[in-house]
Amino acid sequence: MWRYIVRRVLIALALVFVVTTIIFLVIHIIPGDPAMLLLSGGGVDPSPEAVAALRKRLGLDLPLWTQYVDYVASVLQGDFGTSFQDDYPVGEEIAKRLPRTLELIVAATLISIITGVPLGILAALRHGKVVDRTLALGAGLMLSVPVFVTGTLMVLLFAQTLRWVPAGGFVTFSRDPLQHLVFLAMPAATIAIGFSAAIFRMTRTTVLETLQRDWVRTARAKGLPGNVVIRRHVVRNALAPVATVIGLHMGTLLGGTVLVEYVFNWPGLSGFLVVAVENRDYPEVQGIVLVISFLFIMLNLLVDLLYSVLDPRIRLE
Amino acid sequence: MSEKFTSLLENIDRRRVLKGGLAAGATALMPGFIGRAKAKTPGLVVFGLSSYPPGFKPWENKGTASTTVKVQRYRGLLGYGADGQPRSELAESWKVLAGDKFQFNLRKNAYFHNGEKVTSADVKATYEAMAAKDSTARLRSRMASIKMIETPDEHTVIITLNDPDVTFIDIAASPHCGIVSGKALAADPNDFVGAGPYVISNIERGSRIEMEAFDKYYKPGYPKTKKLRFDAFKDENLRVAALEAGDVDIIEYLPWQAMDSVGKNDRLKMDVVNGPFMYVTFNCGKGPFADVRLRQAVGYAIKRSDVIAAAFFGRGNELGGVPLQKSSLFYDEKYQDRWTYDPAKAKALMAEAGHPNGFSATLLSTAQYGMHKNTAEVVQQNLAAIGINVQLNLPDWAKRVALGNQGQYDFSIMGSAGDFNDPDALTKFYDGSLSTSYARSVGFEGKRISELFATARQEADMAKRKAMYAELQQLALDEAPIIPINWRAQGYAYQSYLSGFTNIPGFLTFFSGMVIENIEIG
Repeated sequence: MWRYIVRRVLIALALVFVVTTIIFLVIHIIPGDPAMLLLSGGGVDPSPEAVAALRKRLGLDLPLWTQYVDYVASVLQGDFGTSFQDDYPVGEEIAKRLPRTLELIVAATLISIITGVPLGILAALRHGKVVDRTLALGAGLMLSVPVFVTGTLMVLLFAQTLRWVPAGGFVTFSRDPLQHLVFLAMPAATIAIGFSAAIFRMTRTTVLETLQRDWVRTARAKGLPGNVVIRRHVVRNALAPVATVIGLHMGTLLGGTVLVEYVFNWPGLSGFLVVAVENRDYPEVQGIVLVISFLFIMLNLLVDLLYSVLDPRIRLE
Repeated sequence: MSEKFTSLLENIDRRRVLKGGLAAGATALMPGFIGRAKAKTPGLVVFGLSSYPPGFKPWENKGTASTTVKVQRYRGLLGYGADGQPRSELAESWKVLAGDKFQFNLRKNAYFHNGEKVTSADVKATYEAMAAKDSTARLRSRMASIKMIETPDEHTVIITLNDPDVTFIDIAASPHCGIVSGKALAADPNDFVGAGPYVISNIERGSRIEMEAFDKYYKPGYPKTKKLRFDAFKDENLRVAALEAGDVDIIEYLPWQAMDSVGKNDRLKMDVVNGPFMYVTFNCGKGPFADVRLRQAVGYAIKRSDVIAAAFFGRGNELGGVPLQKSSLFYDEKYQDRWTYDPAKAKALMAEAGHPNGFSATLLSTAQYGMHKNTAEVVQQNLAAIGINVQLNLPDWAKRVALGNQGQYDFSIMGSAGDFNDPDALTKFYDGSLSTSYARSVGFEGKRISELFATARQEADMAKRKAMYAELQQLALDEAPIIPINWRAQGYAYQSYLSGFTNIPGFLTFFSGMVIENIEIG
């Protein structure tokens, strides 16, 4: 088991290094001069002297390899540098933004699990009946509607028409806990719409498959009560693939909540990344991508390890 | 999972699901379940920005949102009033001693946010820092043209320029010329302490900036509102939704598609002016548009009403001449209707230039901003009608700027505004002697145009200036370094209970943050 874990961890660390290098090269290769952009707000035309002065201040006049070595050395010391925009420490900003995105993801995941898993089991148990068909139809619909559509519709209904909640925004939990949760509700629910449908479908499929297994028939033939069969022999065996889907989906959400953050003005990490790329703010882009890829790789590692716990054959293979 | 839960699952049927759904719906529909969003709050104005400002340094231009916020912290010697005319700020009065010499008399009751008095030494330190060689100030070149700054006493500043410049008053009024504490600057070159109406009390980077009125602000009774909060809404639809929901009191960059609904909403008001304009820039150095006749052909081939309808939802005005507002003293109708929609004339010019059957060219724009992309698409269609095969190049804004600055395009779509309402602000678009910039055409020489800009800037005699700008406008049309398309309607929208706000007209619309100190609720 330990050998398996060590091997997976080493692969994960190598992946993080590769990703770090690739993102450094990519962001520097794509056209767009950060210094020029910084001084070109509102369509203005900065003087070449001002642009050159800013490039020097930002260290962009140094050879690329020097910038890379400096960057790797800083990262190894836990320093992500400062924003080109306003000299704000990138690490501090990520530390503020990451929990917000994670909070959004966790809230959406909880809503999705709470709705998706029971309804998936229900649909499988009522296979072919009206409940199953209705839920499957609903899930199809929920999966096919893009988040910016559901998000916009929610804003239209709950903020503009009913005026129950603010259209979007953010306030820290420590400052106003209730308002914080109110701001969180709509974006989390928007993500959960598609996510819960994915969980529902996977749960329904795996439960249905498991219900056909020999051991389930044997358990029933032994005379075990129906709920015990479902709980011990069906649901437990069926949940491993569901856990994988949840893990992968959560990983995807780390960089994929951008539309929801945009629609609801939630200042998380994904929206931060988009703005950083738009502004060619190299330290911000590098820092965010590094953190996201690190988390994604670690999440996958966790799922792999969890999988090996749920199914010992994995680690033996 | 408990047995109870499993049993519950097995016993769920259609009726239970329906009952549960109805119960949840009824709960959610209960009035006050979550609590209505707040509308007006006495003593607090919530301003919806179009983006989170990328910085608040006083002398750099980092876009409208940044300018709106920074003018609350920093004020210059002069500023702009709601009518667009220069007004007194830190200088209570000013005098033009000669074409190259200006005297500013500072207020005696002006203080910086650190409690220091604003003195002539601070003005000198500010302007010298702006002019420094490594300065990134937007107006560095204008500050570098200062020959001498005299400070005969604490409250008097006399500025002498290398050459006469009638636009210096506009420079002193620019929001990018905020005066900062000289002492603080000497201690730390990045410590910018201003004397504006508000001080920052809290920042939620990326989403919110909170400000409180500066108790030693030099205008008695101002700012009218004690607290000011900026909430950033990058999504324009959400910005409007926040206004309609009552989450914010006022928004900038009112999207064109929302102007109809906001105009019809009794609870809201809007203030729209023709500010910036859209235009076509060319690669005049190489490629097809090195030939002025083909640039003129583009001018005649664009159906401006189509652009306004498709890209601006009908909000804007056609611009078939030189971009000067009707209110300008230099405005002349005869330079305004040159580029009428005339495909036959465009084809004749193409034939004259040796392209009777058309040609191919690449049009640079950006997919990042809808107005730029939509304008490019309409222009592409218009030009296809006269036989020009246009390939669109629509990268993101950063790449578009880079390609524009490198001159890597045949022609491009651009939208911008001048720094002030004087025609000298048009140098940015027409002066080929300036460095290569995505804001103007590349490879255009236009020596006479550059000469006229330089001499008109030094000329105090209004009649002579008018004559110079008349010649310049004629040349701008004949040589067609750029082809203007349309004025863009630039709007602010606010709750009807809010008073005191005015959208400053013309190019100055983006400086309207200067009048936020007049806003009050109730």
